[in-house]
Amino acid sequence: MKTDLIPSVDEVRAAVAAVPDPELPPVTVGMLGMIHDVRVDGGAVEIELLPTFSGCPATEMIERDVRDAVAGIAGVEDVAIRFRFDPPWTADRITDEGHERLRSFGIAPPTGSGAVSDVKAGGRRSLPVMASRPERGADDPRPCPYCGSEQTAQESPFGPTPCRDIRFCDSCNQPFEAFKNL
Amino acid sequence: MSTDSPTRADEVELPDLDDLRTALVLTLADDELVTGHRHSHWTGVAPSLEEDLAFSTIAQDEINHADVWYQLLVDDNGDRAAIDELGLGRRPDQYRHAVLCERPPGDFAYTLARHWCYDHFDDIRLDVLTGSDDKEIAAVATKLRHEERYHLEHADHWFRRLVRGGDEARERLGEAIQEVLPEALWLFEPLPHEDSMIAEGLLPAYTGAQLVRWLETIAPALEEAGFGDALPTDLTDWDREDWQVPEGTFSEQRGRYGNHTDDFVEDVWPEMTALYREHPGASW
Repeated sequence: MKTDLIPSVDEVRAAVAAVPDPELPPVTVGMLGMIHDVRVDGGAVEIELLPTFSGCPATEMIERDVRDAVAGIAGVEDVAIRFRFDPPWTADRITDEGHERLRSFGIAPPTGSGAVSDVKAGGRRSLPVMASRPERGADDPRPCPYCGSEQTAQESPFGPTPCRDIRFCDSCNQPFEAFKNL
Repeated sequence: MSTDSPTRADEVELPDLDDLRTALVLTLADDELVTGHRHSHWTGVAPSLEEDLAFSTIAQDEINHADVWYQLLVDDNGDRAAIDELGLGRRPDQYRHAVLCERPPGDFAYTLARHWCYDHFDDIRLDVLTGSDDKEIAAVATKLRHEERYHLEHADHWFRRLVRGGDEARERLGEAIQEVLPEALWLFEPLPHEDSMIAEGLLPAYTGAQLVRWLETIAPALEEAGFGDALPTDLTDWDREDWQVPEGTFSEQRGRYGNHTDDFVEDVWPEMTALYREHPGASW
């Protein structure tokens, strides 16, 4: 039974889920699918999060913001936050709402999780290394987040943050960013 | 930056570096850490803005990958002091990266040749480790391989571009490959206690077997590019069914045993650890 002094798992989970990503404020920790587990034992809260991009510099800020958000809940006395790698976070954990928010922020959402397309597990690469490739980004096309056109090209596989690349829309002549498929 | 961190580095103890799991993970972490430091050379001085961005990002990725591996070796993976101690608080002879990683960046051709050799090696090694019985190692390998795909595509892109880019580009890449290849083989130097790592299920395939897979990938590309003679002669029949890494290929103990050159001991290490040694326990 819920009392005023013992926080519920749902309450804590909702507070964690509402924490915005410091680099993409319209998107929250919940929408990114970063929550692995939330446990509550009396006033002690344990939260397990899955880091998105392993080298994401925002990870420490997210930890701090989650701690602050949960510490403010009545009855919470101790907050333990742990980042775990098993299972690995993949881009398909982002919710539909997260996709919509990314688009509204000018970022094309991912289209799938880490397609290591030309490398077969346990075997040799299925394409010869020298085989000619189509235009960059053609094997990972992204519609323009502004106008929806599919006439877009990848300009650079590396962008302003480790998890995004840079694209250009030939229809509305607008550069945009795309969340990498991880 | 502040130096009043609650945990001072002198209170942190290194784990047992000879423990099997630690020994294996350190080879991965240290390769990435040192590779990241050498790639960061190009920040601000790469031949184009795109390459400045590319190598700066790859450098940042690699150093963070090292950080993730070090996290597996400390009790609490949020314990920054313990992670930093592992990454920056060791003597040079306690680092387990391959010597290739510590070489100076050279010219852009050398950097690209090493990048290509290293990232194909790293892709195979991570693929192997996705099958490790150690769940954490397997999960991190899976995750990092998704991210490393961008590095591999970058390396392959430049390989193709230079091979087809005219005589000077092809020639300079060819010379760089000639220089890099003999040392790149030592990425596959047998690890100390490798038999035990295999027996315990930590490491699903011998470094020798990984070397064969690497040759399967790079040898046809070298051949097609006209660089076939860059492969040492005793490795050219790698595609024979019963082929094994020739005895004597790894005739001495190098990076995997902590034996490094002055490029590390006198150059990368002092610079990489300068701030840490000056301000132990500093936090950013």
